[in-house]
Amino acid sequence: MRSHLVRVLLCLIVAQPAWADPVADELSTLRQSVQQLTATVQQLSSTVQVQAARIADLERSQTASTPQPAPGAAVGLSRSPAAGGNLSAFNPEIGVLADIVGQLSESSADGEGNDKLSAREMELVFGHPIDPYSRLDVTATFSDFEAASLEEAYITHWGLPGEVKARIGRLRPKIGKASPLHRDSLDTVDEPLVVAQYLGAEGLSRTGVELSGFLPVPWTTVTHELISGVMEGGIGEGGTLFGAVRRRPSYYARLKNFWDISDSSNLELGTTYLTGSKDDDADLEVQALGLDATLVHYVTPTNKLKWQNEIYLQDRDEAVSTQETVDGPVDTLFENNPWGFYSLVDFRLSPRFGIGGRFDYVEPVDINPATLVRDSDVAFGGYLTFYQSEFARWRLQYRHTDFALGGNDNAVFLQGTVAIGVHQHQLQ
Amino acid sequence: MTAILRYLAAAGIVLLGPAVSAHAKPIKVVATLSTFADLVKTIGGDGVEVFSIASPKFNPHFIEPKPSDVVKVKKAALFVHGGLDLELWRGPLLDAAGNTKVFPGQEGELALSQGIELLEVPQGPVSRAQGDIHLYGNPHYWTDPENGKRMAQTICDKLCAIDPDHEEAYQQNLKAFLDRLDQKIPEWRSRLTPYRGRELIGDHRAWPYLMHFLGLQMEHHLEPKPGIPPTPKQVEFLEGYIAERHIPAIVRAAYFPQGAAESLAKRTGARVLLLCQNVGELPECKDYQSMIDYNVQQLAATLE
Repeated sequence: MRSHLVRVLLCLIVAQPAWADPVADELSTLRQSVQQLTATVQQLSSTVQVQAARIADLERSQTASTPQPAPGAAVGLSRSPAAGGNLSAFNPEIGVLADIVGQLSESSADGEGNDKLSAREMELVFGHPIDPYSRLDVTATFSDFEAASLEEAYITHWGLPGEVKARIGRLRPKIGKASPLHRDSLDTVDEPLVVAQYLGAEGLSRTGVELSGFLPVPWTTVTHELISGVMEGGIGEGGTLFGAVRRRPSYYARLKNFWDISDSSNLELGTTYLTGSKDDDADLEVQALGLDATLVHYVTPTNKLKWQNEIYLQDRDEAVSTQETVDGPVDTLFENNPWGFYSLVDFRLSPRFGIGGRFDYVEPVDINPATLVRDSDVAFGGYLTFYQSEFARWRLQYRHTDFALGGNDNAVFLQGTVAIGVHQHQLQ
Repeated sequence: MTAILRYLAAAGIVLLGPAVSAHAKPIKVVATLSTFADLVKTIGGDGVEVFSIASPKFNPHFIEPKPSDVVKVKKAALFVHGGLDLELWRGPLLDAAGNTKVFPGQEGELALSQGIELLEVPQGPVSRAQGDIHLYGNPHYWTDPENGKRMAQTICDKLCAIDPDHEEAYQQNLKAFLDRLDQKIPEWRSRLTPYRGRELIGDHRAWPYLMHFLGLQMEHHLEPKPGIPPTPKQVEFLEGYIAERHIPAIVRAAYFPQGAAESLAKRTGARVLLLCQNVGELPECKDYQSMIDYNVQQLAATLE
C-alpha cells in the first residue's frame, strides 16, 4: 500500500509538467495578444489625434465652399462648364436693357417723354457666333412712345483678306464718338444736340455694309483704324443731315487715331467724312466732316476723367428755294455750311458716383435764316450719376437750351438704366 | 580651292542666317492679366514675346481694352486667359480683333483654369441678386502657389504643342520654376503656421485661394456682396465684427478704393494690409514668386 502511494505521488510529480505546459503557453499567447492590442490601440489613438487635428485645421482654414474642379475646356462667356453635352450651350446670349426716363420740361410739345415718366427704351439683345468666322448680333427696341423697331441686326465677319473685318446688316455705323453708342452707354440722358439734330435723336442706325481694319504701321504707341461703309439713304429720327429717301445710299469713312500716352492716359483723335443726298436724286450734294477728340485720364484706378469733343461741319450745296406768295415769289437761301459741336466732361468720383457736364452748339439746317432769332441752338447742363451696381445706374440731369427760333427751355431728367441677362458691348 | 569653299561657306551662313533667325522668331503671346503674362514669360523665356492687357493697377473685372490692345490680339499666336468669367471684357476684345486663330476652342487659345480646384462654386440657383457672382467659382485662383504650379504646367504643355522645336527649353524653364516653388512653398506655409485659423477682413472676394493655402480665414468683406461697393450698413457691421473677433487687419488690393478700408481701419484700430493681387501691382511684386513672397511676408508681419 505504501509503495502504491509512493508510485502515485511520483506519477503526479512527474506528470505535473505535462498539464502545466498548455497553461503557460496560453498565458504567453494572451500576453502577446494584449501587447499587440495595446500597441494597436496606441497607434489608432495617435492616428485619431492626428486626424482630429487635421480636421480642426481644415475646418478653420477652409472657406464654406469645397474646391471644385475647374471646367477643363475653355469657357466662353456664353458657355457653361457642362457645355460639352448640352445643346442649350448653342442658344444665343440674351439680354434685356431697360431705360426708364422721367422728364420735366417747360416745352409744351408733346414730344417723347416730355413731362412724363416713360419706358423710353427696352432693348432685347441677342448675340452668338454663327461659325468660326462670323457672329450675329440683334437688338430689337420697344418703347411706350413708339412702335417696336429693329435697331440692329448685323453679321460680323472676320478673317477677310488684309485682316479686314466686315459688318453687314442693320447697324450703328462707326461715325464719330456718340452716335455709335446705344443710349445705355451714353454719359448723358440725351444725345448731344449736334448728333440728335444732324444724325438722329437716338444717333444713326441704318442698313449697310461696313469694313474696318487697322493700318499696318511699325510703331505701337499709336494705332490707326480705318473704317468705311455704305448705307441706305435716309437719316435717324429727326435728323437733318440727309433726306429721307432710302434708295439713295450714303457713304462714310472714318480714321480713328489712338495714342497710348501712359498706363493711365490716352488720347483719341478721329476724322469722319459723310456724303449723301438730301432729296431723291442720285447726287451726293451733302458733305459732312466730323472731327472728334477724346482724352481719358485715370487720376486713380477708380477716378476716371474723360473729356470728349465732337464737331460736325456741313457743306450742303443748298439751292435757292422759291415760294409763291401773295406778294409774288420769295426766294429763300438756306445756310450752306451749318455746323455744330459739343464738349463733354465726365468724372467718376468714386465707385458709386460720377458727375459731368456738357455744352452744345448747333446751327439748324433748312430753316429760313430770316426766321431765326439767333444763329444756333445752345445748351448746357450737368448731371450726377449713381452707380447702384454693375448692372443698374441712376442719373439726374439738368439741361438749359436757348433755341435758334427763339425761346428757351429748362429740363430735368431722371434716368434709370438696368440690364439683365447677358449683354456684350462692342469696344468703343 | 579652299578659299573658294570658305567664301561659299561664309556666303551660305550669311544667306541662311536670316532664315534661321526668322524661324527662331518668338511666339507672340497676349495674356489678359499681368500674372498670366509673367508665368508665360517664365516658361517661354526667349521663345515668347508677351503682352498683357489689364494693367495690374486696375480692377481686372472692369478693363476697357484699348485699340492698341486690339492690335496686339490681332497679331497674337496665343491668347492666354483665366478661362472663367472674370475677364468679361475678353469677348468684345476678341470680336474687335477678329483673330480667329485665338478664338475659343482654337489652338491659339489657352484657358489657365484647366485642372484648377475651384473654391466658392455656387450651389443651387444663381442670380444677380447675389451680386456680381461668378458662375463657375471664384476666379482669383492664381494667388495660391500650388495653382501657380498647375498653371505653369498648362502653359508649358501649350507652348510645347505649338512650338515643339523649343520643347526642351520650355521643359527646363518649367522644371526650374517648379523647383523654386517646391522649395518656397513649405517655407511660406511654415511662416504662417503659428497663425493658422486667424481671421482677416477682405476688400473683394479675391483672396480665398491665398487664405486656403496659408490656413487663414476671411469670411467677411467690405463689399457686402461680390462687386457691390461698400455700403454704410456693411461698414457698420464690420466695425462690430472686427471688435468682437479682434481681427487685426483689412486686406486690400492696390486697385481697390482705399476710402472704405481706411475709414474702417480708423474706427476699429485694425491695419489696412496692402497685398498684390497681380504681378506688378506694387514694386515689390515684380514676378510671380516675389508676389507670393511679398503677400506672405506682409501677412506674417501683420499677424505677429
